[in-house]
Amino acid sequence: MRATVAPSYQEMIAALERYWADYGCVLMQPYHTELAAGTMNPATFLRSLGPGEWKTAYVEPVIRPTDGRYGENPFRFQHYFQYQVLLKPAPEDVLDLYFASLEAVGIDTQKHDVRLVEDDWEQPTLGAWGLGWEVWCDGMEVTQFTYFQQVGGLEVELVPAEITYGLERLAMFLQGKRTAFELEWAPGVTWGDVYRESERQWSVYNFEVAPVETLTRRFAEHEEECRNLVERELPLPAYDQVLKCSHTFNLLDARGAVSVTERAAYIGRVRTLARRVAQLYVEDLVAEPAL
Amino acid sequence: MPSLLFEIGCEELPASACLEAEAQLRTLWPPDLGAARVFAGPRRLALLVGDLPEREADEWVQGPPEHLRDKAAAGFAKKRGVKIDELEVRDGFLGVVVPGRALADALPERLNAILHGLTFSKSMRWDDSGLRFARPVRWLCAKLDEETVAGFGGSSFGHRQTHEEVPVPHARDYVDSLRAANVEPDQGERLAAIRAGLAELGLAEPNERVLAEVVYLAEWPTVLEGSFDERFLSLPRRVVETAMESHQRYFPLEGNRFAFVANGGEPETVVAGNERVLEGRLEDASFTFERDAAKGIERLAEEAARITFVAGAGSFRDKVARLGALVEALGGGEPSREAARLAKADQAAELVREFPDLEGHIGAEYARLAGFPEAVCAAIDEQYLPDSAGGPLPETEAGRLLAAADKIDNLTVAFSLGQRPTGSRDPYGLRRAAIGLCRLALEAKLEIDLGALVSRAHALLVEQAAELRDDPADAVDFVEERLEGMLDVPVEFVRAARAGGVSELGAVARLAETLAAAAEGDEFERAFVAYDRANRLAGKSDGAAGEFDPKLATDEAELALVESLASASPKISAAVEAREFGSAIAAAAELRAPVDRFFDEVLVMADDAQVRANRLRLLLDVRDAVGALGDLSQIPR
Repeated sequence: MRATVAPSYQEMIAALERYWADYGCVLMQPYHTELAAGTMNPATFLRSLGPGEWKTAYVEPVIRPTDGRYGENPFRFQHYFQYQVLLKPAPEDVLDLYFASLEAVGIDTQKHDVRLVEDDWEQPTLGAWGLGWEVWCDGMEVTQFTYFQQVGGLEVELVPAEITYGLERLAMFLQGKRTAFELEWAPGVTWGDVYRESERQWSVYNFEVAPVETLTRRFAEHEEECRNLVERELPLPAYDQVLKCSHTFNLLDARGAVSVTERAAYIGRVRTLARRVAQLYVEDLVAEPAL
Repeated sequence: MPSLLFEIGCEELPASACLEAEAQLRTLWPPDLGAARVFAGPRRLALLVGDLPEREADEWVQGPPEHLRDKAAAGFAKKRGVKIDELEVRDGFLGVVVPGRALADALPERLNAILHGLTFSKSMRWDDSGLRFARPVRWLCAKLDEETVAGFGGSSFGHRQTHEEVPVPHARDYVDSLRAANVEPDQGERLAAIRAGLAELGLAEPNERVLAEVVYLAEWPTVLEGSFDERFLSLPRRVVETAMESHQRYFPLEGNRFAFVANGGEPETVVAGNERVLEGRLEDASFTFERDAAKGIERLAEEAARITFVAGAGSFRDKVARLGALVEALGGGEPSREAARLAKADQAAELVREFPDLEGHIGAEYARLAGFPEAVCAAIDEQYLPDSAGGPLPETEAGRLLAAADKIDNLTVAFSLGQRPTGSRDPYGLRRAAIGLCRLALEAKLEIDLGALVSRAHALLVEQAAELRDDPADAVDFVEERLEGMLDVPVEFVRAARAGGVSELGAVARLAETLAAAAEGDEFERAFVAYDRANRLAGKSDGAAGEFDPKLATDEAELALVESLASASPKISAAVEAREFGSAIAAAAELRAPVDRFFDEVLVMADDAQVRANRLRLLLDVRDAVGALGDLSQIPR
C-alpha cells in the first residue's frame, strides 16, 4: 500500500499544471466548443503545423456521444477529461520528462511496472497520424504518447510529441479505485457525485432526443460556413466550423442516423475541410510568420 | 581475434519491428567478418561478433582486358590512383588489388550502413537527422574490444526505471554489463525465462501469439500471477479470455487465475494493480454482455439485418438469405437453416464491436440464452472455422454446412465485385476461406459441388440487386487451385482432374489422387495413350464434323474403334459418375488397342473431306470419352 495519501482528482490536475508550467509550457484553457479529443484543440492541431516551436499543456473535456451508457456502466462515459501536452519539436529527453511527470503526481516508477506498449494513432477525420505508445502502469493504460507525422494531410515540419493523459484512468491508478465514479474529486466529493446525473441526461439526449433533421441541416450549414471562411482566408474561425461539423456528425452517429456508406462520406467531408483549413493556416504562416 | 559490439539504443520498439530488425541484422552483417549474435528487444538492437579478422579482406578491382593495355591501362590506373606498372593481370584482365582496411578504420562506415540499412514496415522521423526508424534512436554504442569505435558512444543504458547509463568496458562484457543493469538482451533467454515462469504456474502450452509479443515487451521479464473475483466466472469463458488476451496480453490460467509478464516494480503492488485493471475490464464486458443479452438474439438479428455487409452486396439481411439458400443446397436440414438465419445476429452486438474476435462465439451464447437447440448454437459458434490453415474444423454437421456456405458466399461476393485477392492483398481472407472449403471437402467429407453453389449464390445476389461487375466463375478456379498445394500428388494430376467429369471438390481431389496412384501402371498407360493419340491428331485439327456419322465409317479398323467406343464410353462415364475412378481407367484402357489399330490401318486425313471430318470427330469422341477422367494432356510423359 502507498505510504502517502493519494492526491484527489483536482490535486492531481494541479500537480500536472505545475509540472508542465515549470518546464516552460504555455498553460491553455479548455476550448470553447465540443471536441472528441484534446488533439482537436487548435492549440495542438493547428500549432503542430508550420515551422514555429510551441510548448503547451491544458485540460480538455472530451465529448464522445456514442460512448455514453446513461451513467449505468462506470467504465463508459460520453464526457471525460484529458490532460494534453504538446512539445514541438519533441525534445530528445521527452520520455524522461514524461516519466518525471508521473513522479510529480505521486507515482513511484520504481515500485510500479511502467511500460510503453506500441499504439499507432490515426485520426482519419483530421487527416492525421503518428507513431507512439500507450503507457501502462501496472496494466492500466494511463497515457497516449504520439510523435505526429502528418496533420491535416500535411507532413509536419518539426515533429511534435503529444502526451495525452487519460485523467480518470490516471486517478484510478493513483487512488486505487476500480471505477471513475468512485474517484475522489475533492475532499468528500466523488467524480460520480459531479457527473453521474450528467451522464444519464446527456445519454438520453445523445441517443434519443437530439433532433436528426436539424442536425443534418446544421452539418451542411457548418460545412458551408467553413468554406466561406476559407474563401475569406480566415483559417482560425474556419477551423471552429470543422470542429462543429465533427461534433454534429458524432451526434448523428449516436442517434443511429448514419449508415455505413454515409459514414464514410461524412468523414470524407470533414477531412476535406480539415485539410483545406490546415493548408490555409500554413500558407498564412509563411506569408506572415506568427510567434 | 577482436570482438565487436554494436548496439542501437531506441525508444520502445514494437514487437513487430524487433522481429523485422532481427531478421535484417543477420543479413546486413557480412558473414566474412565473423559470425554475429543478434539481439533484439524493446530498447535495443545489437550485434555481438566474437571472432573478427584484424583487417577487411583485400579486394580485386578488375579493369580492362589485357589486350587493351595500350588504350585503356593509363585511364584505369589514374582512376584507381595507382601507377600503370602497379597493375596486375588476372584471368586476362588488368586490375588492381585494393588492400582491406584495418577494421577500426572500416567500422564507422560499415556500422552506419547497417543503421541506415534497416527498414521497417512502419517507420517515422523524430528530428531533422533524416534517419527513419520504427521509433526514435537515442544512442549508439560500438566497442571493438575495449576501444570505442570512432563516432559512436562507449556506453549503453540499463533498465529504464532502475538503471541509467551503463559503461561497456569491453565488447565481450556487453551481456554481463546489461544483466547487472536489469536488462536481458538475448530474446531467446527472455523467452525461456517466460516459458519457465508460466510452466511453474501450471501453463505448459501458453498462447503463442501473446507469448511472441510479450518477449519484446519486457527487458527484464518476471512472470506474475493474479486472480479475479469469482463472480466473473459466470461470463462465457471465451469472453473472459478475450478480455485478458486481446488488450492486456495476459495468460488465462485455470479458474479465476491469470498470469502476466511484468518488466519491473514490486510484485505485490504490480499484481494488485493488474487485478484491478482486469476486474474493471471484466465488469465492463459483463455490462456489455448483459445489455446484448437483454436485447436477445432475435432483436439483434433484426438490427444486424440493417447493417451493410459489403458495399455493393447489400446488408446482412441479404447475406443471411443467401446463407439459408446455400445450406439448403448443400443438403442441410432444419438446424443449419435456423443457424444460417441467426448466424450474423451478433454483428449488431456491442460485445462484437468491442472484441471482433468474439464473432460467432458470442452469437452462439445469445442463441443458447434464448433456448435454441444446441445443434443450432454450435453451428453459429463454428461458422468461421477453420480460422487458420491448420486450425480445427467444425465438429457438428450443421456447423460444417454453415461454415462452407459462409465461405462460398464470401468468395462469390468478392469475385463478383471484382475484389479478387492479389499476391499481397487479401483483405477478406479469401485464401483462407478457399483452403477451409477444400479441407471441409477433403477432411470432413462434405459434398461441395462448388460450381453449382457459386452460381446459386450469384443468382441470389442478382435477385437482390447487388451491384455486380464480374463473373464469379473464377472463384471456382481459385478454390480448386488451392487443392494443388494441399494434395500429396504432383500438381499436373490436380490440373488434369479439375478438367474431368466431376465438379464436387472432394471428388476432384480423389480423381487427382487416383490418377497419380495409377500413373505408373499398365492400365493408366493404355488409357493415356488412347487419349493422347486421339488428342494429338484431332485436338489440333480444324474441320471435325459436328457429329459422328456411322454411315461414313467403312474401314474395318474404323468400325472396330466405333464399336469399342460404344462399349467403353458409357462404362467410363458411369464409373466416373459413381466415383469409381479405378474402374473408369480400366474401361478407358480398353480403347488403346482399337486406337492403335485405327492409326495403323486408317488414313485419318483422307482425301474425301466428309470422311476426313468424320474420322476427326471419331477421335474427338474417343478423347472426350477418356476425358471424363480429366485433361490427361496435363500429365507429362
